[in-house]
Amino acid sequence: MAPMPSALSYELLAKCSVTKARAAILHLPHGPVPLPIFMPVATQASLKGLTPEQLEETGCRLCLNNTYHLGLKPGQATLDAIGGAHKFQSWPHNILTVSFQMVSLLKLAKVTEEGVKFLSPHDGTPMLLTPEHSISLQNSIGSDIIMQLDDVIATTSPDLARMEEAMDRSVRWLDRCIKAHKYPERQNLFCIIQGGLDLDLRKRCTKEMVERDTPGIAIGGLSGGEEKAAYCKVVDTCTSLLPEKKPRYVMGVGYPEDLVVSIALGADMFDCVWPTRTARFGNAVTSTGVLNLRNASFQNDFTPVEEGCTCVCCRPKEDGGLGITRAYIYHVAAKETAGAHLLTIHNVQYQLNLMQRARQAILEDKYPAFVKEFFGKLYPDKTKFPAWAVEALNGVGVDLLAD
Amino acid sequence: MSTTLSDLPPEMRAFTILKTSASFGPRLGSLALPGRITLETPHYLGNTSRGAVSHISQDNFRKNTSIGGVYVALEDFVEKLPRQTPPLYQLESPENSSSLRDFIALPKDTLLVVGARRIPCIPCPTANTNSALSIYTSVGFRQISAEDYAAASQKIRPDIVVGLADIPYGQPQPGLKRIDKMSDRTEEWTKELVSQTHGLDKTVKAPRASYQIFAPILPLTKELQTWYLDHLIDDMLDDISGLAIYDAHFLADLPAQVKDLPRLSFDAPSSPGAVLYQISLGMDIFTIPFITEATDAGISLDFTFPPPKSEVSGGEDAGGKDTLGVDMWQSEHALSVTPLSINCSCYACTKHHRAYVQHLLSAKEMLGWVLIQIHNHAIMDSFFAGIRESIARGTFDQDKLAFEAFYEPELPEKSGQGPRVRGYQFKSGQNETKKNPAAYKVLNVPEESSSEAPTPDAVAADLEKIGFAETAKP
Repeated sequence: MAPMPSALSYELLAKCSVTKARAAILHLPHGPVPLPIFMPVATQASLKGLTPEQLEETGCRLCLNNTYHLGLKPGQATLDAIGGAHKFQSWPHNILTVSFQMVSLLKLAKVTEEGVKFLSPHDGTPMLLTPEHSISLQNSIGSDIIMQLDDVIATTSPDLARMEEAMDRSVRWLDRCIKAHKYPERQNLFCIIQGGLDLDLRKRCTKEMVERDTPGIAIGGLSGGEEKAAYCKVVDTCTSLLPEKKPRYVMGVGYPEDLVVSIALGADMFDCVWPTRTARFGNAVTSTGVLNLRNASFQNDFTPVEEGCTCVCCRPKEDGGLGITRAYIYHVAAKETAGAHLLTIHNVQYQLNLMQRARQAILEDKYPAFVKEFFGKLYPDKTKFPAWAVEALNGVGVDLLAD
Repeated sequence: MSTTLSDLPPEMRAFTILKTSASFGPRLGSLALPGRITLETPHYLGNTSRGAVSHISQDNFRKNTSIGGVYVALEDFVEKLPRQTPPLYQLESPENSSSLRDFIALPKDTLLVVGARRIPCIPCPTANTNSALSIYTSVGFRQISAEDYAAASQKIRPDIVVGLADIPYGQPQPGLKRIDKMSDRTEEWTKELVSQTHGLDKTVKAPRASYQIFAPILPLTKELQTWYLDHLIDDMLDDISGLAIYDAHFLADLPAQVKDLPRLSFDAPSSPGAVLYQISLGMDIFTIPFITEATDAGISLDFTFPPPKSEVSGGEDAGGKDTLGVDMWQSEHALSVTPLSINCSCYACTKHHRAYVQHLLSAKEMLGWVLIQIHNHAIMDSFFAGIRESIARGTFDQDKLAFEAFYEPELPEKSGQGPRVRGYQFKSGQNETKKNPAAYKVLNVPEESSSEAPTPDAVAADLEKIGFAETAKP
């Protein structure tokens, strides 16, 4: 197979001398982005009430859209007519489209070699969704990074034979995706490593996927309720087998602890709806943990959501911010959508800022110290450190419990 | 007797009338409070809900609107009364600033007007008492006494406080006895507010409060509120800086002594035409619920004043009138890359297009309402600017007629579903259907699954047509 054209370049800037953490610049068609990176999820071409400018102001230069949702609304014809998702949502920066979350469809769908068969819920007509459809849609969307269609089953499934079948099928579907991909010179196709929690399957899949030489590599099928320790083993196993000069994307991961540990395990890119979803429930992500600002204990708390945070919501008026207080978020949480927008801005910026700080630490070769400081702030009591994190970090040379 | 307002030196008056035609009719004015944006009138105030103009977060308010003043209802902030001090009252702000302004993160130069009740307000089942007004908070019906209201005004220091009015909302037409009471109570309550401003000692020079008071004018004839009006003029005129008018028709009967005061309409106009009508009666400042109502209905306002000249006036051609707004739910916009309104320079129109807004509405994405709300306020800004220019030119009456001939009288009917309705925005009645339909249904029952996101909800042929998938071969 001829080497696949790539529309990105991965510029490695620094590697942690202890852990597997890396800092890099990923040059994409719509501009460079720093790695490691957290990508907010604008499922339906909109990030939960924020204008593209508001999203831009958080520092975001790469966000997600969902192929499946955009395929239904507005549909391929509209996307073609308007000239792709960037124009459609007036977003001048990069977009990554995740493929269909087949897990959520499984009850309705039957996966065959051809594709995913399902009954149209509306009139019962049997429908077929193939890797070729998925790529064609993503070509119409025009996203900077597109994902292969994969056969995802829950990692918690005990059916090893089915897991193996899904893994092998995902490899075969990758070949079909590569073949169907019309614009490899301007859209980067990422493969998705499957294999559940079985490390042998993951190793086999990684080898197969790496051979296909896609511009980037994703580790999929995780973040579905599996044990965190098992998750870490899969990430650690896969990254060890991946080429150094390609970005590594762990799909669906977004809790701050997971990000910090996954970076140490050698992952570069993450996405999750959690920070934006939880904002709409009045939850603020901060370095000391998640604050439920709907709790009455915050009603008279006139301090910012997080002291020192540079987001427009938290920044004091004197510094050109809004000076929004916890008490005001309490006042509007779940009552006015403007409150959700403010907290969404904060949470997205928290995540991006966390990645930026991690990156700076890697550049200065201080990542282990950064990890310790991060966990120390989150859990003032060391005995409360999550065991999975202690274990995973130990595996890459960081003793979280040592002084 | 008391001095009339025009006896005061101009620098002491916040409101200046720039142009008025005789004693009755449209007028131009300017409301200038120290440190605030000067509101050229006629104009409108942004209507807030819990401190924010609906859908518009405070950063968007600064960046993407030109709203010069806002109306805030105290009932949005006092859930815990009387058992607990409301959080807002506990916020300490520097003496020369408003704690309410700080709390809701309102820009420092935006005019801040406070009244007791939301506009429009939800009728309360409990009647007002001699000393207290019934209000509706997010946790239920409460009462706020005139004394508490005055104290709250002192505490939160807005620019303008609208006095309490005893209006029996949701009650049958009041009888004469009740009308007497309305007038009596409103007088008492206004007096309470005024006396709190100065303290009991009227000789004290520096008033304790820096806010101005707008006195309510009840939705009654002049005769039926004579008692109140006489006291207002005789005893309180020096302390009153404006009037809040509950029935625009009263402007014709306004006593001469208060004619030069700015007039704030609490007689919510239902359409742009109704705004023009009230202006023709001499109204200065408006609170306009139909802006947000149109936004919630997915209708982007689309009108100018005076109306465009190039087209043939619709009036001559029956049924040919232009609509005042565009229903953005309609699928005809799905491929339209034109702005919401041609020539509109708002953020939504310069950065986005109809196709995106239509998608956002049908996908129930909050940004759809954000963009329409930004646009609808921009349309109102131009509408009022056009009105002021028209009055200055002396062509308001003709322009108003032309507007009525060109546009339909009311906004288009809503066709799509609005955003989620919150408890404090409505009062449920008996045998009502759910206000907010369930967003999710059981997914694993194929016959019934018509849930929002994860299930393709189109017929197979449509799915194939939009390139989503193909019909499976048997």
